[in-house]
Amino acid sequence: MNFFLEIILRLSVWLLLAPLLPGIINKVKAWVAGRRGPPVLQLYYDLAKLWRKGVVLSTLASPGFVAGPAVAWVALTGAAMLMPLGPAGSALSFRGDVLLLIYLLALARFCTAWAAMETGSAFEGMGAAREVSYAVLAEAAIIAAVLSLSVQTDSVSLVTMLSPSTGAGAVLLAAGLFTVLLAENCRVPFDDPNTHLELTMIHEVMVLDHSGPPLAAILHGASVKLLLFAVLLVQAVLPMGELSSAAAAGTLVAGVLVVTVGVGMVESLMARLAFRRVPLLLTTAFLLCLFALLVAWKGGAS
Amino acid sequence: MTPGELLLLAAVSLVAGIVLGPWLSRIWLAFTLAGATAGLTAALSVLLGARDWEWRSAFSLGGEAVHLRLDGLSAMFLALLCVVGGAGAVYAREYWSEEHYRASAPRGRAWWSALLSSMGLVLLCANGLHFLIGWELFTVSAFFLVTLGRQRPEVRAAGRLYLLASHVGTVCLFAFFSTLAVRTGNWDLGPMREQAGLSPLFWIALAGFGVKAGVFPLHVWLPSAHANAPSHVSAIMSGVAIKMGIYGIVRFSGWLPVPAAAGWVVMGLGATSALLGIAFAFAQNDFKRLLAYCSVENIGVILIGGGGALLAVTHGDAPWGRLALAGALLHVWNHGAFKALLFFGAGSVLHATGTQEMSKLGGLWRTMPWTAGLFVVGSLAVSGLPPLNGFVSEWLVYLGLFDAVTSKGPAAWAATPAAIMLAMAGALAMASFAKAGAMIFLGTPRTQVAADAHESGMGMRGPMLALTGLCVMIGFAPILFWPMVSRAVESWRPAWTAVETPAPLATLGSVHVGLAILVMAAVAGLWRMAHVNGLRRGLTWDCGYATPLARMQYTSASFGGIVAGWFRWLLQPERKMRRPRGHFPAEAIRLEHIPETVLERIIGPISVTIIQVSTSVRRLQHGRLQFYILYVVAGLFALGAVVLLGAAQ
Repeated sequence: MNFFLEIILRLSVWLLLAPLLPGIINKVKAWVAGRRGPPVLQLYYDLAKLWRKGVVLSTLASPGFVAGPAVAWVALTGAAMLMPLGPAGSALSFRGDVLLLIYLLALARFCTAWAAMETGSAFEGMGAAREVSYAVLAEAAIIAAVLSLSVQTDSVSLVTMLSPSTGAGAVLLAAGLFTVLLAENCRVPFDDPNTHLELTMIHEVMVLDHSGPPLAAILHGASVKLLLFAVLLVQAVLPMGELSSAAAAGTLVAGVLVVTVGVGMVESLMARLAFRRVPLLLTTAFLLCLFALLVAWKGGAS
Repeated sequence: MTPGELLLLAAVSLVAGIVLGPWLSRIWLAFTLAGATAGLTAALSVLLGARDWEWRSAFSLGGEAVHLRLDGLSAMFLALLCVVGGAGAVYAREYWSEEHYRASAPRGRAWWSALLSSMGLVLLCANGLHFLIGWELFTVSAFFLVTLGRQRPEVRAAGRLYLLASHVGTVCLFAFFSTLAVRTGNWDLGPMREQAGLSPLFWIALAGFGVKAGVFPLHVWLPSAHANAPSHVSAIMSGVAIKMGIYGIVRFSGWLPVPAAAGWVVMGLGATSALLGIAFAFAQNDFKRLLAYCSVENIGVILIGGGGALLAVTHGDAPWGRLALAGALLHVWNHGAFKALLFFGAGSVLHATGTQEMSKLGGLWRTMPWTAGLFVVGSLAVSGLPPLNGFVSEWLVYLGLFDAVTSKGPAAWAATPAAIMLAMAGALAMASFAKAGAMIFLGTPRTQVAADAHESGMGMRGPMLALTGLCVMIGFAPILFWPMVSRAVESWRPAWTAVETPAPLATLGSVHVGLAILVMAAVAGLWRMAHVNGLRRGLTWDCGYATPLARMQYTSASFGGIVAGWFRWLLQPERKMRRPRGHFPAEAIRLEHIPETVLERIIGPISVTIIQVSTSVRRLQHGRLQFYILYVVAGLFALGAVVLLGAAQ
């Protein structure tokens, strides 16, 4: 019984807190630009509204158009359940769970791309093509990051991998993972979540035709993914295992906030890159993670 | 019944299938299914039991006593052969039916039985000479199956290329087995790890079996053979026949001592095949060719695992080797199941529309819902996505690689790039199948043939459903299959029986089941919510454009454009382009074609050079007697000179 109670508690933390992040980012952007900006809870209002709204389906869409967002949402939530939360550990931990997490993210990507292709629109095809192509480089960077954590802690399960500090490689890893976070969550400089010009977008263009509850599932899933990457980044870089429970929890929350504000700052101060530069930046992220791996290797040998 | 009796029953049924096949299609099907069931039962009884089956007969063939053996490793491949062979036989009755292919359908049935029995023979033979005979029979029956539709010139060309490449491989195998026989004094095969002098033979076996397996630079025959064969033949070629190459590599790296560099080379070949194979796959427009190149990738995944095992052997029997090999062997099964499923799905589409070009299809989910749904399941499995079987085996391979990296030994230098390349190949596989599924089944039909498609009958859907069931079962309950895989690993290297493998497969299986339940609940919930709130159909949003055409959809070339750009150095696309000109542009063209780069740019020129050299040598042979006498005299003088010089020294 305790197990289920814990699952429900965790699930509610993840699901309820996730939509806060985009709100904070928008607030930071508004603050930098000298605007008042939408309220921090705006995404909650949007989700509640979308959940009550009707659905317009494209005449070409199959049932997969609605199933895709549902599967993607479950995959992202499942990945979040595998992620340990500082002192609380994770709900379910086993050897190799980190690989399941990476592949659950891939499953979510497949389903989003699939749902985008359902509509037969060239714009959405463009977005889906970009999403799956850039994911190749992002995946390489993530695996390199995970390998470096793995080498450092001699383990392949998230709970033990994420607790110690990463020492000298931490800076490299932080830079690499932050870049991957921006790419995977379709933020500036890879993608502009605010633009309405379909030709230049990745994520937003894939969801052009969604409406009502499926769109709510997509937006909520995207916010869970953002929180997931922020939590991963913070725990991979900071020495959570060496702090007391309360301090670790505080550090985690503060760290996630810092990452969120950082995303907002990047978004305010940078322009979106031209698409041909995107692979270059992702390759840089991969190299940063690879150097972190080398540092971890050397650190362990000495 | 003992495995021996079951195998005899299987052999008798298959021979009856060869004899009766051309005339009685129902009875042929019954015999083939009976043979497949008997073979499967024999394989499973060996895999689940503790003892190998071995049979030495006094009867001799070609001067060698018949010696058959079924151990854990060969039983694993035999089980796969029987499952895909049986499913393909059912599929073929509707797909390559008597009424459509009056001449070739009867022939196809007989050759199908011949292919199954010859591959079974290869798996059972424990004598080098008989192995070669079985291998040749298997190659030839596969050739006749590939060329069933031989009216088309491209089918004949593909068949010729396959036969040629196979025989290049067979030449290597002749050299391998005869050298082995000379060194050991007899043709008998079995464990001989202690004879260290035999280890260089591994390289020649790797080349010979590598051609059959379709390892990257040797894969040149594979895409055209798979794309031009009838789909049930493509399914068994890709699902089972190329695995015979893997079987050979795994078998003889287990029985013979291997050189120290073997693990490095095999893992390197595997990683190269995985990444480059899938890069080619993503760029294809012909969906059967895409599936064929994807087989190159999966062979790569299997070889990464196998290379991990070989590395572990040379690094003090590290426990991660066992994980990597288990992952590789489970991937043999998994790839057999989902690739056969995907080729059956491709066949169903081909049957309904008559085209293999994705740019001519689209919107088929409406007319072919079964095929579409099952193809999606196959796509998820082949992309290695949870909760299906592809993920389980890739996960085991990853675990092996990660443990090799964390051991920080020299093996980590191979395992780190292999893990990264495996991850990239996984992401590209997902991209390729998102593309294939979307281009074939989603959107609106791009041509009339796609609009007129029809769902295939129960005879084709049944085998697809069975294979889907297998994919789901291995994904949901991998722990049930672990004892069999582990038995095969032990028969590869008996020293590994004691190594404990801490792979939490049971947890993974229950997570998969939970995930599947949640997915179904979420889909049902969202679907219901959409209906409760009110559902309305409308035009796809195209930036306000109100009359979108089918031709405006994203095509397969445009979907793969970004990645094709990254791999331009490898793919070498051929372009034909005319830009729109003037104020009233009349016509603009952009055609892009991905050639068989390795074949046309590397193997082709080399063969041409060989032919040129041989032709110039042939000028010596012209039929003029006086010149021949001159050769003899010159030869005599030369010999004399050699003898004199030798005597002077």
